[in-house]
Amino acid sequence: MSLDKIVDGLTEVDCDVLVIGGGTAGPMAALKAKMKNPNAKVILLEKANVKRSGAISMGMDGLNNAVIPGHATPEQYTREITIANDGIVNQKAVLKYAEQCYSIIQELDKYGIRFQKNENGDFDVKKVHHLGTYVLPMPNGDTVKKALYRQLRRVQLLISNRYIATRLLQGKDGRVAGAIAVNTRTAEFLIVKAKAVILCMGAAGRLGLPASGYLFGTYENAANSGDGYAMAYHAGAKLANLECFQINPLIKDYNGPACAYVAGPFGAYTVNNEDARFIECDYWSGQMMLEFYNELQSGKGPVYLKLNHLHENTISEIESILHKVERPSRGQFHANRGTDYRGNKIEMHVSEIGFCSGHSASGVFVDEFARTTVPGLYAAGDMASVPHSYMLGAFTNGSIAGQHASDFAKDVDFAAYDPEDIARERERVLAPTRREDGIPPNQIEYKTRRFVNDYLQPPKVPQKYRLAQSRFAEVREDMETGMIARNAHELLRALEASSILDCADMAACSSLFRTESRWGLYHLRTDYPGRDDENWFCHTLLGKTDGRMICEKRAVDPYVVPIDDDEKDIYYRQRIEARA
Amino acid sequence: MPLANTPTSVPVVVDNEKCIADKGCTVCVDVCPLDVLRISDLTNKAYMAYDECWYCLPCQCDCPTAALTVNIPFLLK
Amino acid sequence: MAGIFEDTADLDELAEALRSADAGERRVAILALADSGLPDAVPLLASAARDPDSGIRLQAAIALGSFDGAEAADALTKALTDADPAVTRAAAESLAELKDPRNADVILPFVAHPSAFVKEAALRALKELRRPEALKPALDAMRDPNAAVRIQAVGVIGFLKLEESVPALRSAASDSDATVRRAAINALAFSQAPSSSEAIARALDDAEWPVRESAAEALGRSRSGVSAKDALIARLDDEFWQVRLKAIRSLAALKVRAAAIAIAHGLTHPEPNMRKEAAAALGELKASEALAHLERAADDIDADVRKNVRWALSQLG
Ligand SMILES: Cc1cc2nc3c(=O)[nH]c(=O)nc-3n(C[C@H](O)[C@H](O)[C@H](O)COP(=O)(O)OP(=O)(O)OC[C@H]3O[C@@H](n4cnc5c(N)ncnc54)[C@H](O)[C@@H]3O)c2cc1C
Ligand code: SF4
Ligand code: SF4
Repeated sequence: MSLDKIVDGLTEVDCDVLVIGGGTAGPMAALKAKMKNPNAKVILLEKANVKRSGAISMGMDGLNNAVIPGHATPEQYTREITIANDGIVNQKAVLKYAEQCYSIIQELDKYGIRFQKNENGDFDVKKVHHLGTYVLPMPNGDTVKKALYRQLRRVQLLISNRYIATRLLQGKDGRVAGAIAVNTRTAEFLIVKAKAVILCMGAAGRLGLPASGYLFGTYENAANSGDGYAMAYHAGAKLANLECFQINPLIKDYNGPACAYVAGPFGAYTVNNEDARFIECDYWSGQMMLEFYNELQSGKGPVYLKLNHLHENTISEIESILHKVERPSRGQFHANRGTDYRGNKIEMHVSEIGFCSGHSASGVFVDEFARTTVPGLYAAGDMASVPHSYMLGAFTNGSIAGQHASDFAKDVDFAAYDPEDIARERERVLAPTRREDGIPPNQIEYKTRRFVNDYLQPPKVPQKYRLAQSRFAEVREDMETGMIARNAHELLRALEASSILDCADMAACSSLFRTESRWGLYHLRTDYPGRDDENWFCHTLLGKTDGRMICEKRAVDPYVVPIDDDEKDIYYRQRIEARA
Repeated sequence: MPLANTPTSVPVVVDNEKCIADKGCTVCVDVCPLDVLRISDLTNKAYMAYDECWYCLPCQCDCPTAALTVNIPFLLK
Repeated sequence: MAGIFEDTADLDELAEALRSADAGERRVAILALADSGLPDAVPLLASAARDPDSGIRLQAAIALGSFDGAEAADALTKALTDADPAVTRAAAESLAELKDPRNADVILPFVAHPSAFVKEAALRALKELRRPEALKPALDAMRDPNAAVRIQAVGVIGFLKLEESVPALRSAASDSDATVRRAAINALAFSQAPSSSEAIARALDDAEWPVRESAAEALGRSRSGVSAKDALIARLDDEFWQVRLKAIRSLAALKVRAAAIAIAHGLTHPEPNMRKEAAAALGELKASEALAHLERAADDIDADVRKNVRWALSQLG
């Protein structure tokens, strides 16, 4: 039998709630949908295997944003996120997360996921800066997925692994009607009719090309190719603030997190070549990334993570955490290069660009119930617009989505859709398999991502952006007429290449629309270097109107947690350069 | 344009002596998020079929016989 | 619809496979049982934990950690005395994963086991279950000659947060082993009794710096920590900056304004973390008497120090 041979086939199933993406938000959404209504039929569909999929595949070092009574309040957290995000947030959704996340922590604790506790059994929350205390380490973070999977099996949830969702089915009445998926090993089709659909497909992590040139050497889990963003777009849902890119500090070449959040509470920090800390900004934000980027470009680069001032005991403790959980290959990478935390500093860099609300604010627009702008369609986790939500946000907002979708599905029937849509999608998907010769998906992908780096990487120059748009159009033409997939696995990559190209186009379109600079490095325009609150204190909503990509403004909802000028001042004072 | 095969050095190494794929084990193939591992028709052992690795390590950690090793992909080593 | 959804495991088939003569096939069956999530898989795994092949027993011990309940706990406690150390280690890990408080009934008797390893594992598993019945056996275990056992015993007691356990924790604070002393000091922080903070304060003079560091930190959390403020101030010139840093932080948390000028000396320490913490503490204390010190530090080479100095200056009012 030849490898991953293409099989002709199509199966139809239906369910009350369909969850797409079984990484972090997805399993929680499915679990909660089922718990809310045990009679509901819930399907969890995953491109990889739920056991080890998503950003938390190997586990996590800790919670970055735990709002735990006694350490921080939901209002305080909401204010800080609002400020870190330059004011453009849907506060209701942030506040709701902040209010509910503690109960999710307690629930995860019961599932057997370990959070660091002190000798009195209380959560050992670490203070990283004086504004709020939100970091909760997870010494056994490598068991996260195992514990979640256990819960899913316990309620005998329907799990469908190795299916890549390609498009949503649109109901004639404007509601969502289900989704189309393709098996990644046989190319057989699966049509899932559903009353409610929850998108949990993670970040668009394969957008920029890592400096190493290796397509899969991304910061994000490389399976997260932005399919969720593309599907939401084609189904008519609005996407918010895509120009607020994700760019993260990371270990150069390894391209994984250095985890200042882990090492920070132990006393490690990021320095320039003078061994001095240089980041003025207190929040993980585009402003922080701008300072990082400027230092790299200046005579004070490279930038390092510094631990060698710490005591031997402390370093061993940090190593045992860092090299076991999250990205365990980190230790191997350092060993290859002979890097030892005791003597050497670790060279840092900034990541390629991507979309991700988990770390930034670019996602499918959702309200405080995780509802998108399409009735019956929900989104949670890195791909939904609740900013800076990280892992706990994926869990909490996944839970919110699951419960609401379960209720929604109770009161409605299946939406009717046009069967022609399925026929058309089959043609689109299978086209590359019908060619005798052509361009392989990896070359389509490489070229797209190379242009993303060449033209879209901030600082944003509009002339370069327009050039990028014409290059993307050429690649699209080649993709639609000449891409070839010789087996089911190559077809998986071909489908991903198409999502990546859609995301590249969206990144360009929304960045050109917002004619100001905001969010530090994330949206730094050379032609509009200043922030323009008068005209741009609003969300950018990108959507598909009459088959075309259109951006519009959406007002920021009135704040539920007011922010007084004093507080803003404290923050802006942090940004003043040194007097020396 | 016709296609050619370009050689590439893949990061995953499997010790065929230890691998029990021939007894029905598919753990590494199951857990890989990038779906790049397969069981060989020729040897009945696991191997890396596609050079598309995120060096995340579930394959190595979950292998019941410690047969599998992931190296850092050459390009970013 | 076969093949679309993950199958529910066929336990009869897997039970059959567990009887195979081939160790590889038995191992594969265990993996499938672990994934099944079915409670009925537990007895099968429990019998696999007695397999003649130690590799199979290891796999079973790992798998049992995915199931909660007395039956899994029972099989795992038995595996703690396996002939193969790898199996016993896996069993101990798995046992600590179980969360159902009722498991304590199965685990409790093992605290009195002659083997230190078994005792330690049993205590570690009991900690998270927080059952008051564990107090007595844990207090007994505090007299164990093995330090690893005493550390876990302190853990069990600390998690229970009972004032009646304070005398035992106080004596553990002067244990011969430094790790036990650290654990005990941290565990005492919950207590409101002045004698508890006195015991923590005594540890500020410990010979080992990590113990002094723990003590300095614990006083900041302790409900009666203020009474030890002079001892904390004295620690501001400990030879280890790690200890000084925790003392500064605790003095700020306890609002000991009298320490301000002593803390302000930290603004010129060579270690940037010290300078940063000193600035932050002076801000928290609203220590206007340190104004001149802070102003001199405003142009520090380190950005985090500058930020905290600026913030502190804004707090002086
Ligand atoms: C390296 C790294 C370190 C991090 N460290 C931390 C940390 O220490 N603390 C913290 O709080 N947060 C951390 N984060 C962020 C956090 O992990 C994420 O915010 C969170 O896990 C996102 O959850 P999600 O469900 O949105 O996405 P994911 O967990 O990535 O899940 C998305 C899932 O969708 C699947 N999928 C994608 N496309 C399709 C498709 N077409 N069809 C079907 N399925 C599909 C994917 O296979 C994947 O399983 C880190 C992230 C990374 C990448
Ligand atoms: S997990 Fe290990 S034993 Fe199983 S197939 Fe893969 S390499 Fe072989
Ligand atoms: S390291 Fe990760 S991506 Fe690479 S083969 Fe193993 S599981 Fe797959």
